[in-house]
Amino acid sequence: MKILLVEDDRRASEYLAKGLRELGHVIEQVFDGDGGLKAAETGSYDVLILDRMLPRLDGLEIVKRLRATGSGVPILILSALDEVDERIQGLRAGGDDYLAKPYHLEELAARLDALARRQRESGSISKLLIADLELDARARRVTRAGRKIDLTAREFQLLEFLMRHAGQVVTRTMILEGVWDYHFDPKTNVIDVHISRLRQAIDKGFERQLLHTVRGAGYTLTEDA
Amino acid sequence: MLLAVAMVAVLGGVYFVTSRIIATEGDQLIALEAQGLAEDYRDRDLDAFVTAIADRAEDPWVRGGVYELRGPRGDFLAGNVVVLPELAVQPGGWAEFEVAVTRGDANASRRIRARVVELGGGFRLLVGHDVQDRGAFRAVMLRSIAWAVVVTVLFGLFSGWWLGRRIARAAHAIGDSAGRIASGSLGERLALTGSGDEIDTLVSRFNDLLARVESLTTTLRAVLDSTAHDLRGHLNRIRGAAQDARRTAVDPEQAAATEAVLAEIDRLGTTLQGLLRIALAESGTAPLEDVNLSAVATELADFYQPVAEPGQLTVAIEPGLVVRGHRQLLAQALANLLDNALKYGRGTPILVTVRRDAGLARLEVRDAGPGIPVEYRELATQRFRRLPGSSGLPGSGLGLSLVAAVARLHQARLEMSDAGPGLRVVLGIPLTRAASA
Repeated sequence: MKILLVEDDRRASEYLAKGLRELGHVIEQVFDGDGGLKAAETGSYDVLILDRMLPRLDGLEIVKRLRATGSGVPILILSALDEVDERIQGLRAGGDDYLAKPYHLEELAARLDALARRQRESGSISKLLIADLELDARARRVTRAGRKIDLTAREFQLLEFLMRHAGQVVTRTMILEGVWDYHFDPKTNVIDVHISRLRQAIDKGFERQLLHTVRGAGYTLTEDA
Repeated sequence: MLLAVAMVAVLGGVYFVTSRIIATEGDQLIALEAQGLAEDYRDRDLDAFVTAIADRAEDPWVRGGVYELRGPRGDFLAGNVVVLPELAVQPGGWAEFEVAVTRGDANASRRIRARVVELGGGFRLLVGHDVQDRGAFRAVMLRSIAWAVVVTVLFGLFSGWWLGRRIARAAHAIGDSAGRIASGSLGERLALTGSGDEIDTLVSRFNDLLARVESLTTTLRAVLDSTAHDLRGHLNRIRGAAQDARRTAVDPEQAAATEAVLAEIDRLGTTLQGLLRIALAESGTAPLEDVNLSAVATELADFYQPVAEPGQLTVAIEPGLVVRGHRQLLAQALANLLDNALKYGRGTPILVTVRRDAGLARLEVRDAGPGIPVEYRELATQRFRRLPGSSGLPGSGLGLSLVAAVARLHQARLEMSDAGPGLRVVLGIPLTRAASA
């Protein structure tokens, strides 16, 4: 996808751009706020990466101005200010996601993917389908090959989250934030255990496995693996 | 009260001394007159002496003198009272008696104090003075003193009550503000009454102190933020470089080395993050809102449930306990406690309880593991401190420090005790007014 990266830390910007290019994205780099806003207004991008604190024009201000002109481009805010409350500010200003420095490239890539995808598909679809696994968000019902699967409320939420990101890599942090709204590291491998329970529920006894572990990144729910 | 006691003592003293002086002086006057008359008796002939006594006795109530002269056989010779035969007083002794007096239409009884002297040759003379006024004076004085005491006590009580109320009000205001400030509203100031009294001085000093605390905290927070920002930026660049190096590494040894560097950077990042969270909680600048502690605890226990052995983690949570707090920090503190219980409890049963306890939401996490010896409990909440024997287990040494900082942010006490066996950690967080009602 085509990404606008507004980041004043040149070296950080270089490493990030290089990493993202290697993943097959097209990156345009701008190093200050003014230029960032101009580029965002004139160019066409799948997603914007904005540093939170930029010379001349603050990252949050760019988000606000873009949103004020009706732009719906997905925006990921990068910040060295990582507190829950800063994060809330960023999202309130109109950002779609917020990632703290230092970040993992895999984490950032996964989040960009999720953002771009969300733009294309509406999140309001209530019936989600992947292979023979079906989830009805309204009826709160899950079936695999027509057979009903009983899940706890959290397991259901977790599966719904994974299905809405089907085919994408979701990181542990994304799951932690998206399903539990926790913004801290639970230290133990709690997410892994939750995933393995869900896997037991939806994949056990089926030849085709849907829930996969992506080494060094997270998990993905997909039928082609 | 002390004032009243002191007053009674002083006035009592005055009363005692004054009545003593009056009594002594009066008695001296009588004694002098009696002595003078006794000398007259010796110097003059008897008839002249009797006439002189009769003269003195003629208008007794003008000078207030009382006289009675009796001959050797007890016969009445002169005087204005008739009391001597009934008085059982030795010569030279003192007597007190009542005498009925008619003045106009009024019949009154006067108190007399008198001395009886032996004149020689069997003659006896009584010389007395009206001391009715002495008693009256004493009564007036007593009454005045009583009134003075009553008024003083009443005034003392009133001013004490009034002053007490003023001080209590000021103390309440200061206490309330201190509470709000402790939970983060550093902009808080106390209102001056404008009276310029001691309480106003105190309040204005208190406000100066607050301004100083606020400016220090703001500076500290700014330094913290900019340092954190800077460090994170550096760490991010280093991570970018390391990640780049790993991707391009062809030599497996090089790849392994950069992998190790990345792991260290991540550990450093986690530690920095942990320290900053603690600093945030301790700065008291984290925004607070109403948080359903029961729900947070239920969710968190549910979150950790799959990591525990079946049946190991049980909860007893009273629903709907709302506290003024920071949801993320509370959840993280509880997560640290659960993580510790799972890690150090070594598979023993873990119980999470939340219940109402005298205006507090009492959150308790207990395990039945080896616990923390008393001498290490205080140490355990300090940064980077890990207990002996835990070096083999993963951990940063920041878990309980964060719990302690979050406790302070919520004006809660963190208590660690022996669960016999195991560790019991208790946080008592004040309920919101609505929740405690």
